[in-house]
Amino acid sequence: MTQHLTTEILLDYIHGELSPAQDAATYAHIEQCAGCRSDYQAEVSLGEMLREHAAREERELPSLVKAEIWRRVRADKPQTSNRFTAWMRPAVAIPVAAALALAAYFGSIYVAPHGAPSIEASYYLQDHAAMNTTIPFNDHTSANPAALEAAALADIRRVAVDVQPAAYTANAAP
Amino acid sequence: MPLRKRAGLPGALACALVLPLSGVAPAQGQDGTPLLREAVTAYAKYSYIGQVQNTDYGMRRADAVLFRVEHRAPDMTRRWYLAPEGLFGDSIISRGDTSYDVDPRTHRVIVTEDDALDDQVAMDDNFGLLLHNYRAVMAPDDNVAGRRTLNVLLINRYTGETVMRIGMDADTKLVLHKERYAASGSVAHEMRFEQIRYTGDIPKALFTVPTAGFTRISGPNHAIPSNDLTAVVRTAGFAAAGPKYLPDGFLPVAGDVTDVKGVRTLHILYSDGLRTVSLFENARGAAVDLSKYTVHETKVRSGTAKYVEDGPTTLLAWASGARHFELVGELSRDELVRIASSVST
Repeated sequence: MTQHLTTEILLDYIHGELSPAQDAATYAHIEQCAGCRSDYQAEVSLGEMLREHAAREERELPSLVKAEIWRRVRADKPQTSNRFTAWMRPAVAIPVAAALALAAYFGSIYVAPHGAPSIEASYYLQDHAAMNTTIPFNDHTSANPAALEAAALADIRRVAVDVQPAAYTANAAP
Repeated sequence: MPLRKRAGLPGALACALVLPLSGVAPAQGQDGTPLLREAVTAYAKYSYIGQVQNTDYGMRRADAVLFRVEHRAPDMTRRWYLAPEGLFGDSIISRGDTSYDVDPRTHRVIVTEDDALDDQVAMDDNFGLLLHNYRAVMAPDDNVAGRRTLNVLLINRYTGETVMRIGMDADTKLVLHKERYAASGSVAHEMRFEQIRYTGDIPKALFTVPTAGFTRISGPNHAIPSNDLTAVVRTAGFAAAGPKYLPDGFLPVAGDVTDVKGVRTLHILYSDGLRTVSLFENARGAAVDLSKYTVHETKVRSGTAKYVEDGPTTLLAWASGARHFELVGELSRDELVRIASSVST
C-alpha cells in the first residue's frame, strides 16, 4: 500500500471494520508512514475526547442545583412567542447544536438500535477465560496468542462497580 | 539450550535444594484432597524448564499447541511456542499479574493485566467450592516426562461423572498431566509435560520483555472481578436477567461490567469450582460478530439461537428484543441450551 490512507479507511480501521487483509495492510502502512500515523493518532485522540465529553455529560447535576433551576423555570414562565426567539439566542443555540452533533456522532456509532455495533466473539471467549483464573486447575498455560491479540484491538473499558461502603451493613441492627 | 542436556553436578545440587523428600502418598481409592492442596501451591514453589503440549478437542477436530516453558518461582514464566507454525516464535512472558505477548513477526508486544491472579480470597473460595462439589479419589500411579506421577480423579458428587484427572509429580506435586472430560466421557482438554527439569538456576534476565523496535499495545486489562453481584448488577444500568436453571453445584461466583465499543455489557461467571459458564448480556441491541467461526443454529425457547465452537468452548448467542445474550462455557451444548432457555428477568 503506497497511497496515503483515507479518513474512511482510518475510521474503519479504528473501529475494527476492515477485513483481516485490509487491517494488516493498514497496520503496516501506519507503521511506515509518518503522515498517516499522525492522522491515525489524531482520529484516536478525537474519539477519546468525544467519549470523555459524553461521559462527563452523563453526570447528574447536584440536587440543589436542579431544584434551583426548576424554581426559576416555574417562577418565570415565558410567553409562547418568546420561546422560539429564546432558542435562537447564540448562548442557547450553539450548545444545543453541539449537543445535537455529539448525539448524532454517538448515535451513529453506539446508540441507534438498528446501527448498534457488533461485538467480536473473541471478546466473550477471552473475557470468559480471564475470569476463570481464580478457578482451581484452570489451565493458565492455554492462553491463545491469537485470541489475545484480537481482544487487545477491541475497544474495551472496565466499569468500576458501585459497591456500597461496608459501613452500611456493619451498622445495621442485628 | 537442549532440554535433554544432563544437568551435571551443579544441577543435581540445585535439584537437591529445590526438591523435597518424597512423602507417603495415599493409596488407590483413598482421599486425594491433601494432594490437591499441595498441587495448587506447587507452581509458586518450584522452578523448572520444560516442554508442554496442550490439546483442545472439539466436536470433530482437535487443536494443539506445543511450547517450551521456563518458570522461575513464584510467578515468572516464559513460554516459547514451537507449534503450530502460525505461532512459531511467539512467546508469552508472565511476570506476576502482567503478561506480555511478544509477536516477532509484527514486532508487537501486547501487554495484558489480570488482577484476578492476585485474588487469593477468590481462589480459596473456589477451591472450597470444588471440594464441596467433587470427591478427590486416588487413581493408579503413572509416569509422565520420566517422572512418577500420582493421579487424582475429580468425581462430581451429583452425577458421579469423572470430570478431571490430575497427574502430579510424586515429589513436587506439580501438575504434569491433566485431562478434562466432557459429559459424554470423551477427553475435552489435555495438558501434558513432555519434558521437565527442575532447576533453581533460571536468571531473571530471561523474562525481560523486548523493547527495541517493538510497538507496545495495551491489551485488555482484567480487574479483579467483584463477588458483590448485587453491586455488579446495579452498575449494569438495566434490569439484568439470570438463569432459573443451573447444573447441580453451580453458583454465581464473580461478575463485572464492561463498556465494549460503548456498549455496557454485564458478565456473570457461574461455577461449581471446576467447571464454569459465563453469561453476558447487553440491552443496547449489540449482537455478537461470529463471522470468523462456523455458525450453527439451535432453539432457545421458541426463538432461534446461534452457536459456535472454539475447541471445547461453546458460545451460544440469542436475543430478546434489544436484549442480547451470550452464554460461554465448556458444558455440553444441551446443558447450555437448557440454561439459556431458563434465562429471564
